[in-house]
Amino acid sequence: MIDQSAVLLFITVALASAVEATEALTIILAAGITRGWRSTFEGALLAIACLGVIVGIAGTALIQYVPLYALRIVVGTLLLIFGLQWLTKAILRQTGFKAPHDERDIYDKQVATLSKEKGILRGQRDSLAFAISFKGVLLEGMEVIMIVISFGLANGSQNQLGTAALAALAAVAVMTAIGAVVAKPLTKVPENYMKLGVGNLLTVFGLFWMGEGVGVQWPLGDIFLLVLLAIIFLATLGLIAYFKRVYESLTEIEL
Amino acid sequence: MPSGKTLSVIWKRVKSFFTFWKDFLVGDSPVLALGVVIILFVAYLLRGSAVLAPVSIIILVLVLITFAVWQKTKARRR
Repeated sequence: MIDQSAVLLFITVALASAVEATEALTIILAAGITRGWRSTFEGALLAIACLGVIVGIAGTALIQYVPLYALRIVVGTLLLIFGLQWLTKAILRQTGFKAPHDERDIYDKQVATLSKEKGILRGQRDSLAFAISFKGVLLEGMEVIMIVISFGLANGSQNQLGTAALAALAAVAVMTAIGAVVAKPLTKVPENYMKLGVGNLLTVFGLFWMGEGVGVQWPLGDIFLLVLLAIIFLATLGLIAYFKRVYESLTEIEL
Repeated sequence: MPSGKTLSVIWKRVKSFFTFWKDFLVGDSPVLALGVVIILFVAYLLRGSAVLAPVSIIILVLVLITFAVWQKTKARRR
């Protein structure tokens, strides 16, 4: 029988990783197209290697030395903070209070900034492309590994770490393959809706594990994750509907 | 004894290390981080109650997200 929480976990990690991979890809494309691919790839590869080391060290150390209840409190608290941050921004974007996340716009700004810098001699490393690519992949990747480690360990099972890592790798591989084929920012990816979905899921898992960590007894056990998801999702829809009306009434007054 | 210049470099590195983690974890919404810590504390206090604990922390999360969105839209509404 398929474990429902494992399926939910896979979807959450894959969606979150796809969003972060899309953002990292925009940075890599901007750096690669304006400054050259060699240094850009070197920067990205070094960042991926650093992330791998962090996952290896942190994952092993956490699972061996930190008790499960403490892991759940820390992981749940962090996920809840991340989830609510994503959710707040997603609601503001859906209602019009914040401009939608636009990869094309971010890409154009990056290209304009990078193009202004002086060119480099052939055969030498472009330190700017290297740094931009390294920093971009490391920062976006940090969120992915935070989610992978959190989701992988909070259930107290090695299998879940494998499931979480697999979901992240699959999502990053798919986004990278699409990016390599189209060779331009992935503007068609419904990032704003994905962020709304991920915000909901992170909030639900964060709340659930944080509660379990401190000793709250959730009714129905793991199935309550679905109840929580329904509650948070309906509340999100309600907030979007309400604040959309507020935004529209403000726009009418301004006109 | 490290020189003043070395100490200043170390201080800068330490500061940027903590700034990085503050930006990463707290971001531009300190109210959310603070709210989650309060929810954690409430959950700990009510953990013995099978009904009150889940209901309270769910309500607190809903209040927090509503407050965070309301706060972010405040500037525009003024």
